[in-house]
Amino acid sequence: MRSHAMATAAAFGGAALILAGCSSSSSSDSDSGGGSLTVLCTVQEDQCQQVMDTFTAEEGITARYVRMSAGEAVARMNASKANPEFDVVYGGGADNHVASAEFGLLEPYVSPNADVIPDEFKDADGLWTGIYWGMFGFCANTDVLDDIGAEVPQSWNDLLDPIFAGNIAMAHPATSGTAYQAMWSQVELNDGDEDAALEYFGDLHSNILQYTKSGSGPGQMAGRGEIAVGLIFAHDCVKFINEGFTNLETIYPEEGATFEVGAVSLIKDAAHPDAAKQFIDWALTPVAQEIGVATGNYQVPTNPDAEVTDDMVDRDDVAVLDYDIAEAGAARDELTKRFDAEVAPQPKE
Amino acid sequence: MVSSVTDTTIPAAAAGIADIDAARLTLRGLSKRYSTDPSVAAAVESIDLDIEPGEFITLLGPSGCGKTSTLRMIAGFETLTDGAIELDGVDIAGMPPNRRPMSMVFQSYALFPHLSVRDNVSYGLKLKRMSARRIAEDVDGILAIMNLSGLADRAPHQLSGGQQQRVALARALVMRPKVLLFDEPLSNLDAKLRVQMRHEIRLLQRRLGITSIFVTHDQDEAMTMSDRIVVMSKGRIEQVGAPSEVYRRPASMFVADFIGRANFLDADVEEVHGDGTATAAVLGDSLRVPAHPDVVVGDTAQLLVRPESVRLSTGAAERSDRVTGDVGRVLNTVFYGSTVEYEIETDSGNLIASVADPVADDVLELQSVAHVRVESSRAWLLPDRS
Amino acid sequence: MTLTLDPTSTAAQALPPTTKRRVRGVGRDPSVAIIVAVVVAVLLLLLGLPMSKLVMAAFSDEGLVVFTGLFTNPANLRVVGNTMLLGLLVGVCGTLVGFLFAFAQVRLKFRGKRLLHLLALVPVVAPPFAVATATITLFGRSGVVTSTLLGLNTDVYGLGGLVFVLTLSFSPVAYMNLKGMLENLDPSLDEAASDLGASKARIFFTVTLPMLAPGIAGSFLLLFVEGIADLANPLVLGGDYTVLSTRAYIAVTGEFNVQAGAAYSILLIVPALLVFLVQRYWTGKKQVTSVTGKPSGRAELITAPALRIPVLALVAAWVVVTITVYTTVVAGGFLKVPGVNNEFTLDHFRFVLAGIGSKAMLDTTVMALIAAPTAGVLGMLIAWLVVRKLGRFAGVLDFVGMLGLAVPGTVLGIGYAVAFLVPTEIFGFQILPPLAGGAAALGGGLAIVMVYITRSLPPGQRAGVAALAQINPAIDEASTSLGASGATTFRKVTLPLIHSAFATGITLATARAMTTLSPIVFLTTPGIKIMTSQILAEVDAGRFGNAFAYCALLVTIVLAIIGLINLLLRKVIFRGLLRH
Repeated sequence: MRSHAMATAAAFGGAALILAGCSSSSSSDSDSGGGSLTVLCTVQEDQCQQVMDTFTAEEGITARYVRMSAGEAVARMNASKANPEFDVVYGGGADNHVASAEFGLLEPYVSPNADVIPDEFKDADGLWTGIYWGMFGFCANTDVLDDIGAEVPQSWNDLLDPIFAGNIAMAHPATSGTAYQAMWSQVELNDGDEDAALEYFGDLHSNILQYTKSGSGPGQMAGRGEIAVGLIFAHDCVKFINEGFTNLETIYPEEGATFEVGAVSLIKDAAHPDAAKQFIDWALTPVAQEIGVATGNYQVPTNPDAEVTDDMVDRDDVAVLDYDIAEAGAARDELTKRFDAEVAPQPKE
Repeated sequence: MVSSVTDTTIPAAAAGIADIDAARLTLRGLSKRYSTDPSVAAAVESIDLDIEPGEFITLLGPSGCGKTSTLRMIAGFETLTDGAIELDGVDIAGMPPNRRPMSMVFQSYALFPHLSVRDNVSYGLKLKRMSARRIAEDVDGILAIMNLSGLADRAPHQLSGGQQQRVALARALVMRPKVLLFDEPLSNLDAKLRVQMRHEIRLLQRRLGITSIFVTHDQDEAMTMSDRIVVMSKGRIEQVGAPSEVYRRPASMFVADFIGRANFLDADVEEVHGDGTATAAVLGDSLRVPAHPDVVVGDTAQLLVRPESVRLSTGAAERSDRVTGDVGRVLNTVFYGSTVEYEIETDSGNLIASVADPVADDVLELQSVAHVRVESSRAWLLPDRS
Repeated sequence: MTLTLDPTSTAAQALPPTTKRRVRGVGRDPSVAIIVAVVVAVLLLLLGLPMSKLVMAAFSDEGLVVFTGLFTNPANLRVVGNTMLLGLLVGVCGTLVGFLFAFAQVRLKFRGKRLLHLLALVPVVAPPFAVATATITLFGRSGVVTSTLLGLNTDVYGLGGLVFVLTLSFSPVAYMNLKGMLENLDPSLDEAASDLGASKARIFFTVTLPMLAPGIAGSFLLLFVEGIADLANPLVLGGDYTVLSTRAYIAVTGEFNVQAGAAYSILLIVPALLVFLVQRYWTGKKQVTSVTGKPSGRAELITAPALRIPVLALVAAWVVVTITVYTTVVAGGFLKVPGVNNEFTLDHFRFVLAGIGSKAMLDTTVMALIAAPTAGVLGMLIAWLVVRKLGRFAGVLDFVGMLGLAVPGTVLGIGYAVAFLVPTEIFGFQILPPLAGGAAALGGGLAIVMVYITRSLPPGQRAGVAALAQINPAIDEASTSLGASGATTFRKVTLPLIHSAFATGITLATARAMTTLSPIVFLTTPGIKIMTSQILAEVDAGRFGNAFAYCALLVTIVLAIIGLINLLLRKVIFRGLLRH
């Protein structure tokens, strides 16, 4: 019986050694293109899958991915900084990419295909390049509006109407870049006056039912008829409508709103840098950018040659607020802290 | 009372088991402390004992006396704090319990509930990696001896208490142990079964000649089964001796009181003779009685008188009312059927007298008086030490 | 912790009462020493390493900000307060519901006891989010029941909804606990009290309840811990009611501040551990159930309508609610947009079964099947060591094994991420490669299996301890005296006797493994898809239909595996056992 136990212990020891040898070798060999690629993908799961499949089919490099929300992606990259698990981060608002760059997680890469992409949709140093953009807006449930006897709100100002008490939802600015868009929109509308922006939200507070954890939460709540208006990206509202929430309506606020740019970036010390660059090049092509619409996502492609459908926002029709992405990113921490302290804890009337 | 273990079955089947050399077990200075705090008493304090090969020896004492701890140290389930345990001259104190050539019969039998009787009994043999044929032979043999052959495929819970006990015994015996250990195995049986099992175990042990150590708090068991009894109290040995020795010549008042019933009468020691007797004044008379070697002239000693050694007579005392000298007064009477017991008040102290085969007319009445006499050869003089 | 199960060791019935014994076996039995060494090494890997890395992260600069800010930042204080309140309410409500069910099951006379038992246990296999999303669909502002049927405008987000969902999810634990205790109460105590003149009510309040006090306290504490540790439900249903687990999650994923997340996690561990320690100390001291564990008879079932009707009515009401919720989960997968557009469709199931869905099912199942038996065996080994072999260190080992439960999932996940996404080094020497994440061996699956094992270990361990405690230690000694080493005794004697507890342990382990989410969120990898994180993604995207479909499938798989494991253990491995 002694030998039995000894054998077990030996087995454990052996397994440990094998593991050790196994992994240190796999992390040291670099695959210079041709073989495979690992992508950190933050767009919808089905879009991720189709993107990877298409890329693999077209370019001959096996693209594997993990899908997580943009915020989680930054945290994940940061955690495995010393030994990056991924080669490319695909999707997610530029502010996340800016944050990643600040953490030293990205490597600049200016793709030859980036030439056609307008300047406002890419980083000057090549740390990130935009693949789509979308407007921030309102998503209103017409049935609920009828119930409470309200008109479809057309402006930020309309939202302050007490008739919407407890019938509006937006995401918490700290959790999601989506909600932060709302905040920065107000800042821009007030010519950079952060106090005034926070004051707006203070006023809006009583109408807010809840600051959701997820970015698309307000849209779902509107879709289910739990609230009248959700503050989310317009393209998300369109997505819900096309999924079957037929009583929703997309609104672009009159005063204007900011837009987000979804980007792709090369990760520093990636295991497969050449494949990664190939992927980025490909991601900027019209073909790649049209996959979004095929999977029911209605952001506007950044490549001017890519097809634009009716579901997507028309730049000329709406008031778009220009803003400096870097500036917005830098102010985020402080603004959200102030929001947390000054706006969120207030009692609702 | 029919014995399940018959004399005729044993010689034939037990031949295999009986051919082990009986082992000698010696305990030297065995001690066990559970606490390092010196003010806390040790569980077992420096036990020296030499157990003869083939002997049936009983560790007897009240709970907490250390008998179980001693047994468990011998078995290996407890570590020694000090001392040595020698089996045929070899110190086995460092040997783990599963390597010691000893088998234990547990108070709760500890039969494996998930195994049949046969599997229970063959458990230890299988660990020795004996051939299946030999195992079957040995198991069948022991089952026959213990009269369990028909029950071989039953589960333990399907057996009566007595049967379970015999299975536990069979399981221990089939291992051909050098020493057989018993941890109060009869405590869970009802009275009649207990008596029967005592007899069977003793019979078996005598036939097989295995050195056996039996732990109990029941003095009847100790008395009826043992070659020698080790009376223990508070971790120490009070006395080691044959049952008659321990009964008749207890080494201390504790032993005297623990075994059998004891009357203690105050006695003044008048003279100590060199032949193991002494003369003492008790019950208004000077008696020459067997005496403990530590008895000293001039001391007040205690005379141990067993109830059956008290002689009562009426007659001349009827007139006298006072309790003095050898006159005693009956305080209580209990009629048992085969005996009658009297509680008697005397000058030297109260005592219980047991009279056998009483006739109704002769039973003394309450508050009546009688002459009290002691059978001096049966008495025993002890120094007065509590 | 008295997570007792059905009195399984009926085998012990044949034996007289256990006597207290101290068994020393480690010192001179090398096989036991080896087992101890292996177990300790495994626990160090599973728990020691991640936790210590977590603590280090928490006490780094960014983490310390959280701690100091705890008393200055009112938002933080509020979060802590929210968490405590939630735990308190869940503990009370869950224990109450569990008690009602247990009382009805054990003491009241009615038909359908088996059914009630099964219904009471349904939530055990439920995936995270299932109940929360169903609750929103049913009882939310535009819920099927509240809005459509009753015309009410209820806000199910926040404390109320959370308490409801968590009570529903965890009351089975309280139920099992209290049921076991009620069954083991010696009815002769009741009879003695009655003999002395006490009415049934008085007996209940002065005899029964005090005897149950450790069980009630144990349940309360356990549910408190589960309540504050949960992440999935507060994420979906919490609304503005932020608790520590969501705060930690947000810190990591929203603020990219893993250290702050670690700090919040530590805040979460502290009450959980305290509660655990108190409970261990408390139940360790009291010996309330009768010594043999087997009562001398059965208490008479109550037929008095004054008691039966209200209790059964309450129980029935809760059952109806439970059934409604879980039916929604199963049915929801077949509706286009559950609650809004109730058109029948198979699209969701198609989505789930094709592509990612099927890979997720496969991956999750395989990993759960690897983890569950391992956790089962490990739990049994630890239970054996704790009850039989170790003297002073038993308590420590027992405690460490239970950490997998005490430590909230989020905390564990962050700890694992911090520890295993990078190689493990001591003094500059790499002793372990990364075990988690895409760059790890076996596609990062190892870390996930480890997490599964860690989370599943406690139920198995508890089951083992409870079962072993019922077995007379003399049986182990008998085996030893017949020549068996420690390991052999465990294999040939102990394990067969506790195999029922083993089966239960593995069952619970599997259920837990497959439905665990919070630690997984931080460990997903490209090579491995986990069902629960897929469900999170679907819920996040608002595609409740897909989420429900996933849930239904998950439950089916879990039940199938449980059935299979039970069958395997009874028919194949422990075949031929002599059982009552």
